[in-house]
Amino acid sequence: MGKYVAKRLGMALVTIFLVTCLTFLLMNAVPGSPWLSEKAPSEATLAALNAKYGMDKPVHIQLLKYLQNLLKGDFGVSLKMQKNRAVLSIIGEMFPVSAKVGAIALCWAVLVGVPLGCLAAFKRGKLTDSILRVVCTLGISMPSFVVASILLVAFAGGIASMKIFPTIFDASAGWRTYVLPCFALGFYPMCYTARQTRSAMLDSLNQEFIKTARAKGLKNSKIIFKHALRNALIPVITYLGPQVAFTLCGGFVVESVFSIPGLGRYFVQSIQNRDYPVIMGTTVFLASFIILMNMVVDILYKIADPRINLTKGGE
Amino acid sequence: MANEKKMKRCPVTLQPDIENILDWSSLEAGDFERASQSEKEDFIQDRQSVSYWKDAWRRLKMNTVAMVALGVIIFLVLFAFAGPYLVPYGYEEFNRGAENLHPFHYALEDQKRLEAEIAARTQTETMSVDDIIAQAQAEAEAKGEKLSSVDIAKLRAQAKVNTQSASQEEAVDPDEILKELGIKKKLFGYSTAELERKAAGEKVFPHIFGTDMYGRDILVRVMYGARVSMSVGICAAILVLCIGATYGAISGYCGGRVDAVMQRIVEVIYSVPEMLVVLLIATALKPILTEYVNTGSGPLKSFVAVLGPNLISMFIAFGVLYWVTMSRIIRGQVLQLKQQEYVTAARALGASGGRIIRRHLIPNCIGQIVVTTCLQIPSAIFLESFLSYLGVGVSAPLPSLGSMATDALSGMYTYTYRLVIPSMVLSIMILAFNLFGDGLRDALDPKLKK
Repeated sequence: MGKYVAKRLGMALVTIFLVTCLTFLLMNAVPGSPWLSEKAPSEATLAALNAKYGMDKPVHIQLLKYLQNLLKGDFGVSLKMQKNRAVLSIIGEMFPVSAKVGAIALCWAVLVGVPLGCLAAFKRGKLTDSILRVVCTLGISMPSFVVASILLVAFAGGIASMKIFPTIFDASAGWRTYVLPCFALGFYPMCYTARQTRSAMLDSLNQEFIKTARAKGLKNSKIIFKHALRNALIPVITYLGPQVAFTLCGGFVVESVFSIPGLGRYFVQSIQNRDYPVIMGTTVFLASFIILMNMVVDILYKIADPRINLTKGGE
Repeated sequence: MANEKKMKRCPVTLQPDIENILDWSSLEAGDFERASQSEKEDFIQDRQSVSYWKDAWRRLKMNTVAMVALGVIIFLVLFAFAGPYLVPYGYEEFNRGAENLHPFHYALEDQKRLEAEIAARTQTETMSVDDIIAQAQAEAEAKGEKLSSVDIAKLRAQAKVNTQSASQEEAVDPDEILKELGIKKKLFGYSTAELERKAAGEKVFPHIFGTDMYGRDILVRVMYGARVSMSVGICAAILVLCIGATYGAISGYCGGRVDAVMQRIVEVIYSVPEMLVVLLIATALKPILTEYVNTGSGPLKSFVAVLGPNLISMFIAFGVLYWVTMSRIIRGQVLQLKQQEYVTAARALGASGGRIIRRHLIPNCIGQIVVTTCLQIPSAIFLESFLSYLGVGVSAPLPSLGSMATDALSGMYTYTYRLVIPSMVLSIMILAFNLFGDGLRDALDPKLKK
């Protein structure tokens, strides 16, 4: 167990390191700089600015310096968007908003998706199954901005009685403000979970032990929830890790549409503004978060399923 | 595991079928006659060999959903690649005087009736400012006085307030008048000038989906957007196929230490958050490639210039990260296949590793490859629209379905169709590819063959 966790942790650190280096090199390869605005600064100003932020040195030295600072927990300061504010404090302010929306979205996606998948599997070939299949396939075919736009048109359009939920995010407005963004964000994962659960359930319902349970005279509900679902859930859990990533990244779009002051929207804005430390900081933070989540889910999954041999797990 | 168990499962009953065995022995002399020529031919025809693809196609044909999806895909391909030649507008062409057209229009005489009605209603309510002043002046002159400029200003202000309150209280709603007059919307968008030309006997191509705020025809833009999406989807899928299949086959075939190292690399790439990095790569590569097109030289430059830095940066971003799934699938297949006798035989005959992979292993997992490639297309389209929506994908003037949706957000309540049409085309496209891919998997999956 310990060996496996150590191995995964090492792998995660390597990945984070690679992502950091890749981002840094990419950012430096891009022509243009954060100092460019409508009014072009003079040569001398540029040189002074570059010297001040250490951007006059060769790229590999800058990278080393950045990594050193990173190890000390120093993410640098914003150059443009919120001048001289520490990137870490920006992340600290924005991430909780994103995380809250993402967590709610993921929760409803799983809580609705799994039962729907079970229902579809149990009613295989019937009308319910067909309807659910159509809805779920449609759901995984609609990019999140399409879902978000449909919601916007429906709930903020001309019909006054439909304006129940605010379409512009306002954290002080209570639960109503979370409804639309969380629905838009969770729709894709919900459909995906339902599809995954359905196929896993079908696999599991075909197994011998289900027949044994039937032969024993168990009730249908007990067969489904106690025997079939427990086995079917295992592959669904594996998908949770990537789903966390998807919800966070899908947040880029949903946060822009509903103007949520979250990290995803800020990340996209920082890319457009070429605010290097912010891009670096958010990328490293989000990537580490996603990678670690994937790792945790993988480890949990191996713990949950005793049939998987931990020491040989990765081979 | 499930399949092994199924194989071992015993037939319905353990009792021998006695009736059937008794039947065998009750043969008559006539039964031993030679078969006639026609009987032999029947026998052969019944067991005509069916190739792998024919078999798969037969199963695919029975899947109605997949066939409908295939039809939609073919239609969309025609729509995207042949469509722009049928429509006389360009995707960058500004049609003067045809700005902001809805995908419907009113006939010329109906428009006149509408204008007349609105004019009639507003005139009875208020007089124009100049009329009021002229009237007041006439009254004053009749009394023998003259209006001072201060009085005129007062009158003007008064009139202004009157008209404002009038328009607030009794705003003339064109929709209501339309309903009262019984004017119906007609399909397709025409500007007034175009309607007049049409009335004069000229042939005018309608703006079927209307136009945007610059007068650009939305139909053509959607066609080009669909073309961009499909090209990105298909090229990215092919790129993923090439990298993934090669990598997976080598990793699986070589095994041992090579495999271990290659799999570690795959694991690292697998855990990279894809969208985040793709977003970064696409953003970073676009300006680099643009600069290269402007300053570089050589055949590579013209190649980049033809495809456009946009598309290439997206292909690279996609190709760098998305091949891992493909390589995993191929590796799994190759690991199984390389134990087979024909691989040993080929090796005994002195075939090189490359030849075995190319001639024996890859063709034998072609089913998996086709299915994975096909399911890769929608996910590439998905990603392209996502990037374009955020403004880092395909950029102006080339339209993309994603960027069209972003542009439409600003006027989404008045011009909802601008948002709905590209979104719908995009969703239908992804849906069709998804459904077809699912059908293909069902048709090619050897597990379901039994």
